[in-house]
Amino acid sequence: MATTVFTPGTDVQHDVPKPFVPSPAPATVVKHKGGFWSWVATTDHKRIGTLYLFTALFFFIVGGLEAEVIRAQLGGPNRHLVSAELYNQIFTMHGTTMVFLAIMPLSAAFFNFLIPLQIGARDVAFPRLNAFSYWVYLFGGIFITAPIFFNMAPNGGWFAYVPLTTRAYSPGHNLDVWVIGIQILGISSLAAAVNFITTIINLRAPGMTLMRMPIFTWMSFVVQFLIVLAFPVITVGVFFLMMDRFFGTQFYEVAAGADPLLWQHLFWIFGHPEVYILILPAFGLVSEVLPTFSKKPLFGYPVMVYSGIVIGFLGFGVWAHHMFAVGMGPIADSVFGLTTMLIAIPTGVKIFNWIGTLAQGQVKYSTACLFAVGLVALFTCGGISGVMHSSPPADLQQTDSYFVVAHFHYVLFGGSIMGIFSGIYYYFPKLFGRMMNETLGKVHFWINFVAMNLTFFPMHFSGMLGMPRRIYTYDAGQGWDTFNAMSTGGAYLLVVATSIFLFNFFRSMKKGKPAGPNPWGAATLEWTIPSPPPNYNFATIPTVTSRYPLWEGREADIESARINQQGGKTAQQLGIVLPYNTIKPLLVALSMTIMFMGLMFNYWVIGAGAAAVAIFLYAWLASPLEPEHH
Amino acid sequence: MSASTSHHYTTTGLDSRKIGIWTFIGSECMLFITLISTYLIYKGRSLVGPFPHEVWKDPSTGHVFHSILNIPVTSFSTFVLLMSSLAMVLALAAVENRSVPKRTLGDKILGSSKLWIFVTALLGTVFLSCQAYEFTSFVHEGLTIHTNLFGSSFFTLTGFHGAHVTVGVLWLLSLLVIDFKRGLNESDVLHVDIMALYWHFVDVVWIAIFTLVYLIK
Amino acid sequence: MTGSPRLRRFASLGAYAALALALAACAQKFPNTTFEPHSEYGRAIDFLWNRLLFFGTGVFVLVEAALLFVVFKFRRRDETTTPPQTHGNTKLEILWTLIPAVILVFIAVPTVRTIFETQAKAAPNALEIDVYGHQWWWEFQYPEYKITTANEIYVPKGRTVNFVLRTKDVLHSFWIPQLAGKRDLIANHTNYLWFTPDTSAPTTVWNGFCTEYCGSSHANMRFRVVTVTPEEFANWVTRQQSPAAFGAVPATPPATAIVTPAVATSATTAPVTPAVATAATAATAATTAAPAAPIATEPPGWVLPHEQVPAYAVPQTPIPAGVDFNDKLVGDPARGMALFTGAGTCNGCHTIAGNPAAVGNIGPNLTHVGSRIAIGGGLYKNDAYHLARWVKNARVMKPGNIMTTLGKGQFDPQMKLTTPGGLTDQQIADLVAYLQALK
Repeated sequence: MATTVFTPGTDVQHDVPKPFVPSPAPATVVKHKGGFWSWVATTDHKRIGTLYLFTALFFFIVGGLEAEVIRAQLGGPNRHLVSAELYNQIFTMHGTTMVFLAIMPLSAAFFNFLIPLQIGARDVAFPRLNAFSYWVYLFGGIFITAPIFFNMAPNGGWFAYVPLTTRAYSPGHNLDVWVIGIQILGISSLAAAVNFITTIINLRAPGMTLMRMPIFTWMSFVVQFLIVLAFPVITVGVFFLMMDRFFGTQFYEVAAGADPLLWQHLFWIFGHPEVYILILPAFGLVSEVLPTFSKKPLFGYPVMVYSGIVIGFLGFGVWAHHMFAVGMGPIADSVFGLTTMLIAIPTGVKIFNWIGTLAQGQVKYSTACLFAVGLVALFTCGGISGVMHSSPPADLQQTDSYFVVAHFHYVLFGGSIMGIFSGIYYYFPKLFGRMMNETLGKVHFWINFVAMNLTFFPMHFSGMLGMPRRIYTYDAGQGWDTFNAMSTGGAYLLVVATSIFLFNFFRSMKKGKPAGPNPWGAATLEWTIPSPPPNYNFATIPTVTSRYPLWEGREADIESARINQQGGKTAQQLGIVLPYNTIKPLLVALSMTIMFMGLMFNYWVIGAGAAAVAIFLYAWLASPLEPEHH
Repeated sequence: MSASTSHHYTTTGLDSRKIGIWTFIGSECMLFITLISTYLIYKGRSLVGPFPHEVWKDPSTGHVFHSILNIPVTSFSTFVLLMSSLAMVLALAAVENRSVPKRTLGDKILGSSKLWIFVTALLGTVFLSCQAYEFTSFVHEGLTIHTNLFGSSFFTLTGFHGAHVTVGVLWLLSLLVIDFKRGLNESDVLHVDIMALYWHFVDVVWIAIFTLVYLIK
Repeated sequence: MTGSPRLRRFASLGAYAALALALAACAQKFPNTTFEPHSEYGRAIDFLWNRLLFFGTGVFVLVEAALLFVVFKFRRRDETTTPPQTHGNTKLEILWTLIPAVILVFIAVPTVRTIFETQAKAAPNALEIDVYGHQWWWEFQYPEYKITTANEIYVPKGRTVNFVLRTKDVLHSFWIPQLAGKRDLIANHTNYLWFTPDTSAPTTVWNGFCTEYCGSSHANMRFRVVTVTPEEFANWVTRQQSPAAFGAVPATPPATAIVTPAVATSATTAPVTPAVATAATAATAATTAAPAAPIATEPPGWVLPHEQVPAYAVPQTPIPAGVDFNDKLVGDPARGMALFTGAGTCNGCHTIAGNPAAVGNIGPNLTHVGSRIAIGGGLYKNDAYHLARWVKNARVMKPGNIMTTLGKGQFDPQMKLTTPGGLTDQQIADLVAYLQALK
């Protein structure tokens, strides 16, 4: 190893990393050269991850505001803050925004930023495709969100059941926006999945076998397979709806003998794996956080990996539990009821293993750790209400009522969002080179925890006491007023909690305490490099001999960590070749979005968009990824 | 495809683009499985004809529609597509063995990547022409994409497949242009390999479609 | 660190029990509760629910207690101690995989049994009610009695009722929380939901809801179910089979006699004087002949008296802004009947049995609308105040309504224009008087 390349004095620190010991904080934070062009043309996975993070936080706020309108309207009976039509747009967009524009991209932010760092790679397998995925997400997100200002937002529910969403019953542009938007966003996810599967299979550092991979990367790996296999199904289903709406085909036309259940099956064959896509990354983040703050390894790592894989498989076998009320017949109902019960087992096993990780540990309750424990507590609740849904006859009371709303908000907010917050507090230092404020973080956690329960726990009751879903108002005297008032109060409190978080986040970006390579004393490769990482990530690609390089690694692990944690060198000085910045992925993404939009406006636009896609795609494929080198 | 080769270290020893195309093909499998499943679900459920394998008399006009699928023509086009896969195999072999000296005329013919890429593209185009002929004759006989569930699912399924073949033909032609301009050499083997993978996949999908849509009643 | 984990666990269990008791005792306050079954179907679901709740609460309490215990016990004491680097425990993994599996068996077995029991074919002598979902109202037909009505049904206690569920447009779902689970109405499908209301159930009204998002007024698609004794049901059937009370042209007797169940005792009503047969029996356009002489407003048969309708079943939906009406006007039902097939054009959409010109089948059947609990798809209280405003601007009263805005000078929110013509308040008052007379 060429240790003579590194000169002391310019480096931040070069002590030998010790297990569990946080690295000392540097005096200053390295600022990377910025500039608009470097962001717009970036192919660096860390920058792309940062773009995802900011965009997704923005949409999280949008979705949250939509929720606040919903709760303001439903806080009492017979309210008319918004009209029925606007409410129906808002609840549709709340679901669509949170699933496709907030939670998935927040997970994508972590995939992008973290996976190469965790596996010891310099970037993902296809950096330009990576940028393309982001720009498609951004343009698709703007496309599907902006129409709400023109009273044209999608209004068929996030699940868009036919025949309500066929042209006959939804003649306006609202559902056109939905079908086009979903197709665009699907392309973003699919491209990213191809990228990450290839990256994880092919770019792991020497010595990093699959069973030595960090658990977040493992869960993300399963998620990418779910995306690759589930998204094409909804692509086809939505394509059928698009063809029906724009070109008069008969896929969902009742008069032609079509079966509305075709849509439901196609949607949920995608939709159920989708919810595992939403939760597994959060599970992965929690599995990184808890061991670090317990100062001991993840309990049952192999079981955590296998249960993740089993959940991925079984996730494709439970979809019709969203359809217990449609009359599939007793055999189908029984089969899907049983598979749904079955999937509770690997999920529950994870909960126990997390508890096992904390047990016997020396646990420090940093904000990240609090959110991780919060996920364990709240997901347990959501998982149990999920098991309650798994019994079809019982579900016939629960489904399409507020009980379901309670269930999925416990698993999505109490699960995914909690895990993502945990990940943000944990990885913020790595991303920005500064610490978030811990006191504000803890305030955020506790208000969030109380508010979340106050908002969603009463919904178990309003549901079982007869309140249907997706209603813009309800009558007085039905026994639902108190529970709804509680939920609305909790929702307002969530605004407070989230505001504190946002304030902390943005202030810490500029004023947080500088962070060293490993402020938490964690074990995995991303903590062996400076914070924020240099654009080449690792000065020397590490050789990995253990699952926890900084805790259990051998001499070579520690030495490469010692080298990598030193900053101050450029890629050029180290002889590392990085991909070119290029705007071509953005141009292809923009052309593709415009091409899709032509469906709604003008067919010449489709042609022009397609031509632009072809031109820019050719330019992209014909140009080299990186400078020639040997 | 970018000219840079990846001499970077990889865990599997394979080029990342190889793994990428296999992953992409996995998603395409799900795409076609969904399209084919929809066709099979709606099989026999159209309220009006024409139908694929039966005769139908329109009660309102009295017009008689014979079973609309033309097995002989489609068998021919299937054969053509299968032969195109053979041509693709030869094209890839030709690029891989570029540096092997070719003595006989037979060797030269077999070793001409330009020839075999061209033949693949040509056979693909013949297949597409048969599809075009088939679609237009169906429309003349009264089956459009709007007519019934069969029409919608049939044209969408075969249309998706045809679009994939079209993309493949265009891709082949661009390879051919590169071959004429600077010649394909060892560094292009991966590119042609990926092309071949895609082409064979499209062929396999067609075999499934031909069997399930045309052959099975 | 307060209290021991065990104490905490018992406290949680106790809280749950108290809550369950409180809820069970408060059926009056929770009129749509699923916790108080009144049918064998409801009880079957309740059995499963209780089992799910038992295991769910148990697992919840145990897991959260374990978590809390661990969270408190293993707090970091100092920065130098390295905890034991346990990587896992295979025995534990097996244990906590098998135990949940065993618990699930206790849920799965009764689940599958209940599925097959409740989805068997309905008993052959069940009372069939054909349900047709519309945007945004419910059409009900009793083929056995040749009754067509809307948004309100009566079912006899102790007799299995079999709902045959179909939709005329988009997907809907049929839910009466206090009586049974729900079932969707799927286009091109026929679904079935059957159950037997308990003989011990009270004679009262239950609320029903649409529970599949179906567009603008999904929230406003409600119905009422009235459980009554068999005798009361027979009398209600008699009422529904009679033509409209006001101005009814007596129909020719039906070819086959309608079988009405034996009536033990029934509240006597004033004998019906059949309307004088007029020449206008053919279903021609708006009749210009003088309307038939008004007959007694209570036709034979019975409906649940309004005093017995519980408060939760009477809608409290307020009138939206922009629909005013001069409530001082007095309406003439005879003029209203003429308007119904005249300027009002109501007969284009609505049927009133006994009024041969009113055979529209786009909107709800109005033959006995006067005696219903609610109007507008279970949305508004059925009185002149609400009915007048409904007729005046049905599109503001119910978002997305297919029924047109009829009032003069009223703004139609769908067409986005003010109706140039339309009915005056007096005309509406007349129509309302007519409709209110159709008991």
